[in-house]
Amino acid sequence: MHVDWKHIAIALAILPVAALLFAWIGFFNVGASSGHWKITDWFLHFAMRSAVRTYALSVDVPEKLPHHTLQPAAGHFARGCAICHGAPGEPRSPAVLRMLPQPPALAERVGEWNDAELFRIVKHGIRFTGMPAWPSQARDDEVWAMVAFLRDLPAMDERTYRDLAYGDPADPALHPVDFGQSLAECVRCHAADGLGRSAATPILAGQSEAYLIQSLRAYAEGRRQSGVMALPATAVDAALLRDLAQHFAALPSRKPDRIHHDPALMRRGEEVARIGIPAAKVPACLGCHGGRERNPLYPRIAGQPAEYIAVQLDLFRHGKRGGTEFSHLMTDAAKGLSDTDIAALAAYFSTLRQAPATGAP
Amino acid sequence: MATLFWVMTCGGALIWAGTVAVLLYAVRRRTLYSEPAASRLIFWAGAVFPAITLILLLGYALWLMPSLRPLAQPGAPTLRIEVTGRQYWWRVIYRQPGTPPVVSANEIRLPVGERVEFTLKSDDVIHSFWIPALGGKMDMIPGRENRLSLRATKPGTFRGPCTEFCGTSHALMAFSAVAMEPAEFRQWLAGQHVPSAGATGTGARLFIRHGCGACHAVAGTEATGMLGPDLSHLGSRETLGAGILPNSQDNIARFIAEPDVIKPGVQMPGFDMLPPDDIEAIASWLKGLK
Repeated sequence: MHVDWKHIAIALAILPVAALLFAWIGFFNVGASSGHWKITDWFLHFAMRSAVRTYALSVDVPEKLPHHTLQPAAGHFARGCAICHGAPGEPRSPAVLRMLPQPPALAERVGEWNDAELFRIVKHGIRFTGMPAWPSQARDDEVWAMVAFLRDLPAMDERTYRDLAYGDPADPALHPVDFGQSLAECVRCHAADGLGRSAATPILAGQSEAYLIQSLRAYAEGRRQSGVMALPATAVDAALLRDLAQHFAALPSRKPDRIHHDPALMRRGEEVARIGIPAAKVPACLGCHGGRERNPLYPRIAGQPAEYIAVQLDLFRHGKRGGTEFSHLMTDAAKGLSDTDIAALAAYFSTLRQAPATGAP
Repeated sequence: MATLFWVMTCGGALIWAGTVAVLLYAVRRRTLYSEPAASRLIFWAGAVFPAITLILLLGYALWLMPSLRPLAQPGAPTLRIEVTGRQYWWRVIYRQPGTPPVVSANEIRLPVGERVEFTLKSDDVIHSFWIPALGGKMDMIPGRENRLSLRATKPGTFRGPCTEFCGTSHALMAFSAVAMEPAEFRQWLAGQHVPSAGATGTGARLFIRHGCGACHAVAGTEATGMLGPDLSHLGSRETLGAGILPNSQDNIARFIAEPDVIKPGVQMPGFDMLPPDDIEAIASWLKGLK
């Protein structure tokens, strides 16, 4: 038979209809029990690896991975990742092992990817695999913390992991129901004394109760962006949030023992805090965060860890930080801050015991 | 200005009438002038007369100039007013030798009959300062100080709009210039040196509590912010929001709650999340700062 262009055109026109018919009849097996055909498996992995490699080209890798935020990353790993990927001393459930594709045991496989590729996977997830995207797309800092944790994971023993992820008590309930269990979930990262277990963790002890409760609600409703805080804030019964805020607000705050060794930076920080940067339209921080008798929804930032202050200011500056109903004030205030200003403010406030009022020192 | 106008108009009219008369005469006359006579006419009427007129006018103009250039005069004015344009309001600082400066905003008061020197600046984009009733306009250019000298000849309130497009709310950026009798003006200025009698109380506490002092200053309180207008004597100003609203307690409350609705693109964030009672208390307190 002679095949000319007309036959080809007709065949091409029929093809999509045939494919639709094939799908509609439902003969194609979508069950996970039998696994992929070898060629499908190869092709899907080939496409996935290629896409991750290509998209990772646009990722800016920081000079140094943030290993100082290992603890909160481990805390999040325990709730968000370990169920599928396993963790040191925590074998996976047989249910997870029958997922298709089977989630890799990360300790063994994480070395196959470079930092940029890991960032890409952790932040955006992978389609068709069950790997979810990071709960907040605004928090690259959290994703990098997780990448740093993943780098350390292969060499991590069970004791180190459990200490990082759970602290003391060693294994809080996965689904907290009462106040005690909910508090245990907070304490994994914020510590029983509310002072925080890492340099990036805010000090909750002595923080204003009104601010804590509104922040917890903002985390739960997605108005304050954080993949790490989104999980506990929604896992805990909403009715208990007020009790938790009350508990931490009542804990005694600590005299900061951090001494900053760059006096010029400290002076700049104090200047911005007291009088702002009029030319860059930055108001005086202490106008809201200093003195006594301020609105309790303005958090106390004196003595907070420098790292935490710097990250929050950077998020505010880029419009990526919601929170209480007052948070838009900070978005406007932080717009004009430079990197140096942020470092200076972080240095100044982290060494401060009690914030003074505005005006010349 | 008025004399110059009349001199120019009358002089121009005389010359024009003369030219037309000569033209009519030339049209009616039958015989022709000799060539040397025509050349003489062109020399005297076409070259010498304009040259003399122009030299006289230039002399007259130069004679008028010194009063427009007070810096060249001995005895510089004692009152200098520094006006800084910001999106979208005016910071006004009264400087007098021997006394501390008085900071205010969006309203300029000046003594009748005295020459006042304005120093014009901008903190962000180009604005332009103009009180049409008192004189010409002058641009306010970031990084530069422009000088302008004005003298009000009679009391009154004159409007001054921003006359250089400066952003979304350019059309909502104005001020009032209030010319007062000198004695009254001195008394007013002396009053500006001291905090308002109403600068304490519940309103003041709420103002500080909600952080208004991070951007605004109110003399006699903890508030020393330098980003927004100084509110030390807000209640005594005639208008609100840089010349756009009558200064009433309701308008102050509205401005606190939704400044961006009243003035698109304004720097001040909205405070509609504050308890309405607090907004009312702050508005009432600010209105009382005379």
